[in-house]
Amino acid sequence: MTSGMLYGGDEIGALVFDIGHQSLRVGYAQEDSPKAEIPAVVGIAEDGNSNAVLQNDAMDIDDKKPDNNITQNGNKYFIDTTILHVARKGMEVTSYMKDGMIEDWDLFEKVLDYTYSKSIQSESMLHPVLMSEAPWNVRSKREKLTEIMFEKYQVPAFFLVKNAVLAAFSNGRATALVVDSGATHTSAVPVQDGFVLTQAIVKSPLGGDFISMQCKQYLQDSDIDLTPSYQIASKEAVKEKEKPRYVKKKIIPEVTQSWHNYMTKKVVQDFQISTLQISETPYDDKSVSSIPSVHYEFPSGYHQDFANERFHIPEALFDPSIVPMRGGGVGNTMLGVGHIVTTSVGMCDVDVRPALYGSVVVTGGNSFIQGFPERLNRDLSMRIPSSMRLKMISANGCSERRFGAWIGGSILASIGTFQQMWISSQEYEEGGKGQVDRKCP
Amino acid sequence: MGDVQDILGLERPPTPELTKEAILGSSDKLKKKQMQMSTPKVSKRPEGMPREVFALLCNDSKGVPPVFPTDTGQGYKQMKAKLGMRKVRPWKWMPFTNPARTDGAVFHHWRRVADEGKEYPFAKFNKKVPVPTYTDDEYNQHLQAQGWTREETNHLIDLAKRFDLRFLVMRDRWDKEKFSERSVEDLKERYYSVRTILGKVKGTSSADVKPYGFDADHERRRKEQLKRLYERTQKEIEEEQTLVTEYRRIEARKKERDKKTQDLQKLITAADNQSESRRIEKKLPKKKLQQQLARPRIDSVTVESTGIKFPDMKGSGVSVRSQRMKMPTNVGQKKIKGVEQLLQELGVESNPMPTEEICNHFNELRSDMVLLHELKTAYSTCEFELQTLRHQYEALCPGKVIDIPMTSEGQPGSSTETDGGKLKTNLAEIIDVVGSPGTPTSSHLN
Repeated sequence: MTSGMLYGGDEIGALVFDIGHQSLRVGYAQEDSPKAEIPAVVGIAEDGNSNAVLQNDAMDIDDKKPDNNITQNGNKYFIDTTILHVARKGMEVTSYMKDGMIEDWDLFEKVLDYTYSKSIQSESMLHPVLMSEAPWNVRSKREKLTEIMFEKYQVPAFFLVKNAVLAAFSNGRATALVVDSGATHTSAVPVQDGFVLTQAIVKSPLGGDFISMQCKQYLQDSDIDLTPSYQIASKEAVKEKEKPRYVKKKIIPEVTQSWHNYMTKKVVQDFQISTLQISETPYDDKSVSSIPSVHYEFPSGYHQDFANERFHIPEALFDPSIVPMRGGGVGNTMLGVGHIVTTSVGMCDVDVRPALYGSVVVTGGNSFIQGFPERLNRDLSMRIPSSMRLKMISANGCSERRFGAWIGGSILASIGTFQQMWISSQEYEEGGKGQVDRKCP
Repeated sequence: MGDVQDILGLERPPTPELTKEAILGSSDKLKKKQMQMSTPKVSKRPEGMPREVFALLCNDSKGVPPVFPTDTGQGYKQMKAKLGMRKVRPWKWMPFTNPARTDGAVFHHWRRVADEGKEYPFAKFNKKVPVPTYTDDEYNQHLQAQGWTREETNHLIDLAKRFDLRFLVMRDRWDKEKFSERSVEDLKERYYSVRTILGKVKGTSSADVKPYGFDADHERRRKEQLKRLYERTQKEIEEEQTLVTEYRRIEARKKERDKKTQDLQKLITAADNQSESRRIEKKLPKKKLQQQLARPRIDSVTVESTGIKFPDMKGSGVSVRSQRMKMPTNVGQKKIKGVEQLLQELGVESNPMPTEEICNHFNELRSDMVLLHELKTAYSTCEFELQTLRHQYEALCPGKVIDIPMTSEGQPGSSTETDGGKLKTNLAEIIDVVGSPGTPTSSHLN
């Protein structure tokens, strides 16, 4: 081997896109973390006037979206956190994702435009692109994505990989059971030799958003003011559990309901991240009450200690039967995380089961709830045959787990032997978009 | 290697010093040679000094270690990093084509200018599993099989190519809408049969394709078993665990019993041998005899260990005859005590006059005493065991009483009671069959 091709790596300036429901991660292959993480929601305003900007926004939006973006139907798009979080009149917030797959292609293209011009700041035709997709992505969407990348962005080469495979790769496994607890769902995906066993995917709609919903419900039920910070001009210190005293901002543009909801959700999500924890054993009032409570202060200034609730809410991930049903009754038939895993493995061939249990990769933003991997470990060890070796792999570092799939993509795209796998533009010209199904298994 | 040489006491050639130059292989050889020449002769190990100690003291390159640490050595004190003095080899962002690709796509990467134009280094890893192909004729002539259509077979071969024979993945991607569901074993069976047939048909041309007999039924059974193994409930696992422990206990008990029987056997043989002239047929309790049935006899080897074996005094030089009467050292304290006590009881002098005759007889007597003692203990343990077994039997089958001949010479028929003749005759048969332990009865039973 020639020197310089050490460690089997060969980097050809490829870009890696990891398309998630919460955010889009993008960066250069071979780097250890993405260059940018862009929320998967986009603000859309009816017309091009940006006079309703509340703060003296230093960012010039017109500069941000050169040419074609603004003009379409007279709509204006607001992409990325900084711009999105500014109160604007009539700005609706929508997501281009649905069920882990891209739904609104126009919006997605807008985001790609933004990514190339602002995050990557390079021409799309210079960089091969590796994208992640949901393991249950449908053929029509894969072909559409391929078409867009080649036709509109003229990428020299393109490749699609299932994000579960990438997550497994980033943890150094080619065979693994990937437990991905993301925003909209929690799924168990068996991966063998870098191929997803599609028949054995199990997913449940209990994800981060569900927990946020539960949190919101709980907070509203206990009469806690969830006013997002954009409405608050100033606040005073109050005693614990006292009614918050704050002054509302005078001039706020008429924001849309969707944007307000988005901002409120941010508040709830912050609460969720800072307080929630999953108890290591099935939830039990007594054992949980011995664990110290956590103090949390809301943007409104209201603050209090949270004790049992912080265990009770996320418990639903592992034991969905405790979730109150809409009708008022308790108990539902959704699967807890442990159950999802065993069901998925149970559908695989007996020969791979030991290998799958031997590397259970935990990934996804929702798995950051404190105690998630530990509890899963415990639940699984109770369920699986004692002769089976169980090993949980969850990257300890925050960014390693958050960007698990992206890092896997970064590794994959910079491996020397991978360079023959790309669908090149030549191949696309000859074979058309249909070959994505053959070439990217 | 050096260690082995040390142990064998061989002269060790001075090991070449490991330097950066040696690793890089770039420095001039001459310098290295000079260095080797200049290394001082390895100091010789003094006679009688263990080599481990010597190795601690003298490291062959440096001689005797310093008494206190010095900082004259190189180590990290080196002031200037010595980097390669050669010219830098520039890198260039250059286009390349990958021969592993069929489309000749051009990508760019960083590479040394010197390597420009060389073949893409990773292309050689592009290995494919050889998957057989067939023509229409071949298929029609040889490959038709029950339950498989041409299209299905084509699909199978196509999948095999795409996924490099990963049958699990192939099954996962199997077109279920077009074709019926197939198990992994079905796919493997079909694939390997196609391959074997084609290999035969094409003959030598595909000699590298070794025929591979795939036993689908065996595989199915194996997987079924594996599945059942994994699907055991906690209760079943626990049951198995208790059964295993129970089995172990039984095994251990059996071993213990066997050991006892062997010991007994030893004693009996010793007794037989010792009293050749007045041979008494020993009748043993039923249980022991049964075990004798089961086990081949081990006599000749173990005879010596019972009784006392007095050493022959055949050493050169003069010795006192009383020396012959001395207890050998390997006799246990307990035995010696027992013998002394018995001698006292019988009123025999513990140190008789050592004439030739007395010496022999005295030794024989004491040996017999030990044997007797051992036989007695064995007898009492047997007796005890018999009692326990009887109690167990009575506990298990209440109402029934088993009567076993209590004395060693008791004839089987002498004392059987109420529990019917069946047991009695059984017992008698057993004892009759193995009546004399000396006969090799077990040989035809094995």
